[in-house]
Amino acid sequence: MSQDRALTGQEFELRPESRKRADRPKGLEWALVVLAILYPVALAAGPLFAIVWGALSSGFGAMMRQLTSPEAVNALKLTLLLSFAATALNTVFGLVVAMVLTRDDFKGRRVLNGLIDLPFAFSPVIAGFTLILLFGRNGWFVNLIDALNLRVVFALPGMLMATTFISLPFVARAVAPVLRHVGREQENVAYTMGAAYWRTFWSVTLPNIRWGLLYGVSLTFARAVGEFGAVLVVGGGVTRFTETATLYIYRSLDDRNEVGAYAMVLALAVISICLLWLMEYARKHAQDE
Amino acid sequence: MNATRAQTYSPASVAALPWGRWSLRAVALIWLGLMIALPLAVLFEHGLREGIVRFWAEITNPLALAAVRLTIFAAAVMTLINAAMGTLTAYVLVRYRFFGSRLFNSLIDLPFAIPTLVTGVMLVLLYGPQRTLGAWLEARGAHVIFARPGIVLALLFITYPFVIRTVQPVLMAIEREQEEAAWTLGASRWQTFSKVILPMITPAIISGALLSFARALGEFGSIVVVAGNIPRSTLTAPVYVFGQIESQNQMGASAVSILLLALSFTLMLLVDWMQGKRGGGHVAR
Amino acid sequence: MMLKHDGTNLSVADVGQFAKLSHIIILALSFLAAAGCGGPSDSNSEATLTLGAYTTPREAYNKAIIPEFQRRWKAKTGQEVEFQESYQGSGAQSRAITSGFEADIAALSLESDVTRIAEAGQAGQPGQPGQPGLIRHDWQANQYRGIVSTSLVVIAVRPGNPLGVRDWPDLADLTRRGLKVLTPDPKTSGGAQWNIVAIYGAALRGYAGVPKGDPRAAREFLGSVLRNVSIMDKGARESITNFEKGVGDVAITYENEVLVGRQAGQKYDYVIPRSTVLIENPVALVDAYADKHGVRQAAEGFIDFLWTRDAQRVFARYGLRPVEPATAQEVAAQFQPAGDVWKIDFLGGWKKVSQDIFGPNGVYTKSFEELHTSP
Repeated sequence: MSQDRALTGQEFELRPESRKRADRPKGLEWALVVLAILYPVALAAGPLFAIVWGALSSGFGAMMRQLTSPEAVNALKLTLLLSFAATALNTVFGLVVAMVLTRDDFKGRRVLNGLIDLPFAFSPVIAGFTLILLFGRNGWFVNLIDALNLRVVFALPGMLMATTFISLPFVARAVAPVLRHVGREQENVAYTMGAAYWRTFWSVTLPNIRWGLLYGVSLTFARAVGEFGAVLVVGGGVTRFTETATLYIYRSLDDRNEVGAYAMVLALAVISICLLWLMEYARKHAQDE
Repeated sequence: MNATRAQTYSPASVAALPWGRWSLRAVALIWLGLMIALPLAVLFEHGLREGIVRFWAEITNPLALAAVRLTIFAAAVMTLINAAMGTLTAYVLVRYRFFGSRLFNSLIDLPFAIPTLVTGVMLVLLYGPQRTLGAWLEARGAHVIFARPGIVLALLFITYPFVIRTVQPVLMAIEREQEEAAWTLGASRWQTFSKVILPMITPAIISGALLSFARALGEFGSIVVVAGNIPRSTLTAPVYVFGQIESQNQMGASAVSILLLALSFTLMLLVDWMQGKRGGGHVAR
Repeated sequence: MMLKHDGTNLSVADVGQFAKLSHIIILALSFLAAAGCGGPSDSNSEATLTLGAYTTPREAYNKAIIPEFQRRWKAKTGQEVEFQESYQGSGAQSRAITSGFEADIAALSLESDVTRIAEAGQAGQPGQPGQPGLIRHDWQANQYRGIVSTSLVVIAVRPGNPLGVRDWPDLADLTRRGLKVLTPDPKTSGGAQWNIVAIYGAALRGYAGVPKGDPRAAREFLGSVLRNVSIMDKGARESITNFEKGVGDVAITYENEVLVGRQAGQKYDYVIPRSTVLIENPVALVDAYADKHGVRQAAEGFIDFLWTRDAQRVFARYGLRPVEPATAQEVAAQFQPAGDVWKIDFLGGWKKVSQDIFGPNGVYTKSFEELHTSP
């Protein structure tokens, strides 16, 4: 159906020669460069600086005390747990979907392709809402849940589903173009040599797509860590139990605990930047291959 | 349409698949069915449960309409700015070499990594009335936070990478020779850009713009912190839906959600179609 | 793109990565099952109580009442009680509980939010005919009618009250154009509903400069105040913290929000309008969930505790006016005297008010729509 958008920042068409032909700007062109840099600085640098300043405004010690309080620690733990789990699920199934998209051909493929992108179109609040419609007290599955004595909404399973949902497309969308690009040649060779399907996947396919995969995985994780709207709706905000890092920030601002809020913002920003580094690292390696 | 024609498995590989190709297909379909089709179905069922008349009444409710209008308006303003600045940034990154350009390139994806709530908090921190910058602006009558400019600002930050990342690859693929040919024929830099390069990157700009527009339609985490929730002036559609979810009117939430979803999804289909039309970028086999 | 691969390139790291992934998946799925099943473990030696409350008494419960209760309960029965607390706008919390948030105790801002929980799931609710409600006893049976604390609707102003706001008429568009008023959104916030009720009731009682007993005039007055509202936050707490951040000129809020804010070092003043409503906050045991979790005894113990002198003193410490008469006497000096204070009964009780003022054709709903949809 469609090409995969370059939204994921892959630049596989980059030819090394083009890069070398970038010039140093001359004269008025510097104005363009300066403008291009000042714009994001105005958007982001000021606020980022403000956060650091806000977090440290009562001193480093106070900030650390906030970050090591049981509420903050639990919030971070929950965020990381949900993110790891969601990423794991989306990696496995994202790979499957990507393989089916690019290596298989059947009538429903276009539908599949369209479905994958749907989470991008959902506002996170709506995503959380549909989970309540499905698993809440008046939901479709209420009888099943009661029978199994499960708690889904306003509890961790619901939050995990929400997080998985909103971070769903990244792996599939990052891996599919690579798979397409890499092509079937090597795999077919392996098959004709008698290799089993999984062995081929492990030894041939996976290594070829590993940088695209890493890129998709880091995007997924970053998205999961940052989720707010969906877990706000479906989570219930119970401190230390269903309160993620983002919900913690939201509540701390309410509690007038500014240092705590900004400290957590800083913590999340650090995590995000690490993930960003990972993304760029993967992207660069993908280019170099 | 991708140029990889439908490829069938060679006999050996079909035998090699543990339970036939259907197993993988089934897994993919079940996964997407459960995770995506199911929420979609329940949303539609709930929103349309009481008939099309009720649905229509909900989405034409004056407050809902106002919220949707504001969302579209803010997203549109943001998209225009984003298209212009994104193209500029992509051009600068591809064509020029300067100190820190590689670092800059890496930082572009930062908005993808940062939680939207954090974006909102940062903006309030910087532009809120109590802070120096905010107070300075307020004194001059420029309201940013809890006013529409704040919304556009938040959206700009969040969608910053979109246009850049769709335009960059295309710019890089453009043959340098074409540009140089234009120069040797006496065209100025600007003419080269507008007559040679711009037509070639326009589809990419539009793709990126549409993507950022679609993304902005659903934005919640930053807006809820930064906007004031006053209908018609600062209440966006996702925040309106949030309010409806938490109030008596869950049907209204579903109805407007369906509307938003339809809008976003149409836009994304449009983007797909455009990128498909643009023709192969990826090596075909 | 050169594909450099010859079958031996599959690094140990790659395999390890995938193995780790599978472990994580298995972990995640079993975690999901475990977390989903049942709920907190209960035995006779320990119990977990889930409290669903509104935003305002957060400090009172979290910092003082709950720890004190845990101590006493352990001393009295030997049982360790752990608390899971959720604080959000009263309306939002009420709806969360009816949607599946399994709170054992509901401590909300107004009676109709508790009534909603009581009636949830009864015949008439879509899809669940004949199911009994979540609250199955008469939660208003005691001498306090289930009300555990009270407060007043007041107007918070900047230090020194530079704009000289004294009473409701000062907030109306007629006398003060351009005045920026903060009040939360009645859809989600109980406090907001109290605010609206206070304005409308005061107008009806003749304290707003409009003819007494004239519903139309009162409604117009309400509209003219609403015209000056610049932001509507989700909850009372969010509203006042925005005010603290420098937004707006005045904020209509709970008296105890202001007092708690001042305790936290915030500097603002407040005025009690000449006529205002007595905010009454109910607490109720949510039978369905308490029984499901097997924590009825501990939950009832907690609720009973709320009316003891000690707990009431804590409420007073955090700015809420106690209902227990002796305690109220004791702390009277802490609170500013108020003029004309009336209860929700004046407007017919919450059931009537929910319809007449906040219903689809209610006074507030219509005023709000008119304000924000006229060209």
